[in-house]
Amino acid sequence: MELKHVNYGYPGSENLITDFTATVPTGKILSIIGQNGAGKSTLLKLLMGAISPSSGSVEMDGHAISTLSSRQRAAKIALVTQQHQVYDEMTVKEVVKTGRLPFHSLLTTISDEEVRPFLETVNLADAKDRLLTSLSGGQQQRVWLATALAQEPQYLFLDEPTTYLDIRYQHDLMTLIQQLNTERHITIVMVLHDINQALKISDEVWLIKAGQLIQAGLAETVLNEQLLSNAFELPIKIVNIEKYGPYVIQLTS
Amino acid sequence: MMKERMAYLIICMALILTAMLALMLGTQFYSLSQLWQALTGSQSAILSTVLNFRLPRIIAAMIAGGMLASAGAVSQSVFRNRLADPTILGVTSAGELFMLVGSLILPAFALQKQLLALIGGLVAFALLANRKTLRQPYQLIIVGVALNLTFMALTQLFTKGINVSSALGFNGITWSSVYSLLITGFIGLVAVLLMAPWANDLKLPDEQLSSVGLPVSAMRLGLLALVVYLSADVTAAVGTIPFIGIIIPNIARYFVGHDYQTILPFSMLSGAWLLLLVDTIGRIAVLPSEISAATIMAVIGGPFLIILIQRGGFHGIKAR
Repeated sequence: MELKHVNYGYPGSENLITDFTATVPTGKILSIIGQNGAGKSTLLKLLMGAISPSSGSVEMDGHAISTLSSRQRAAKIALVTQQHQVYDEMTVKEVVKTGRLPFHSLLTTISDEEVRPFLETVNLADAKDRLLTSLSGGQQQRVWLATALAQEPQYLFLDEPTTYLDIRYQHDLMTLIQQLNTERHITIVMVLHDINQALKISDEVWLIKAGQLIQAGLAETVLNEQLLSNAFELPIKIVNIEKYGPYVIQLTS
Repeated sequence: MMKERMAYLIICMALILTAMLALMLGTQFYSLSQLWQALTGSQSAILSTVLNFRLPRIIAAMIAGGMLASAGAVSQSVFRNRLADPTILGVTSAGELFMLVGSLILPAFALQKQLLALIGGLVAFALLANRKTLRQPYQLIIVGVALNLTFMALTQLFTKGINVSSALGFNGITWSSVYSLLITGFIGLVAVLLMAPWANDLKLPDEQLSSVGLPVSAMRLGLLALVVYLSADVTAAVGTIPFIGIIIPNIARYFVGHDYQTILPFSMLSGAWLLLLVDTIGRIAVLPSEISAATIMAVIGGPFLIILIQRGGFHGIKAR
């Protein structure tokens, strides 16, 4: 997947994304980091084809993503966002079944059997008949992940998936994501707030600021005090923790 | 599962029982044996009363009840609001207004009432549905109630001195209007059952729906068109009958759960039963006169709505 000289903005206001050119590494884990409002989520939407660039192009396997129908896109790219609510009671399996919709006609009823493997992957097979709202935040996030997996995507996009989760759940979720990447070769693209989490789990990192790419590359290349301080407009220091490795801390007086 | 089957069994039995009672009761009481004799051909006077007056009315009440209940359930899904219902949101009163104004200023044409009610309903929805009302459940209800009152007042303004109310209601309904209600209603109800999975899908946020490739706006518009079709069709035949669309789906949720693929068929059956019951009671309560089903429904529906709100009728459906 490739972004070529992508600009995006609303007419009459400043661009949210400016001349963005980068390639999503196939089969790897990519994290996008940067300040709030730097354009991380906009970038994900562009990559998904949910919005179209004002100029430039977003391509998947050599074809512009905008030429695919929304169902075709949904069968290749799945998205997990920060927790969202449902408007009425739904059981876990009912939510996950919606992930199978790209493969069926609009009016089909989907069987329980069809979604079982995805519930098993996220370890929720026993909870299939429970109401989504009766689950903990971490479990709910796994339901959304199972829904995304039910799309059998080549690309899994995660928009701040660990927000609202405690560190234990964050760890579990990240482990699961790594597993999906190594075992099923799903390309992962994540927007993460936590720089350390991003650097630890990712093969590649895009550091962005004000809609522009300031550094793309292996996690190590982004581990640079000056670069990070500039991107976040904060004094940042990298320390070395024994048995962990480099750790980014923010120095505020 | 067990509870669900019991609920279906009970409502089917209640429907059959009430229909039989409705055939028997009226200005003249007929026993079951009299009805049987009429059917077998030895009591032609009874047969004529039953065939010309009671049966068309029973069928009309059942189909209209089923249509109103499913219109209510579907609009609750589309608006993501358990209190949404075309009859209290001004959709049907707009239909009535358009029917009236149309009959005054337009020459008569085929399906005039149905088409005018449909246009009126669409106008009401256009005024009703915007970003704010879709996000704020209470705002939707308040705007809807205000629209409803406005359309009703406008209708009254136009009817001053002209008696049009006798044209609507179940009293004196003819076979020809029953036939057209049956045919159009059947089409609408089949469409409701086919589109039931969409009502379930709309429980998810729009963002999630588009990420699994669903045409959210098209689905929502399709369901809304169905709601307008159903409620306008009933309004054209028998006028506005309020609250069935709120009472029935909410009771249905209690008995058969949250899945629209079971809520909708159950709502059809129980809507048919409730309207038939109410109409039959209205028919015999103050003999030789009668009380309209709409009046009785308003009397029951108001308090039900209040109880629903106070007991947290919004449970699970929140403003975003």
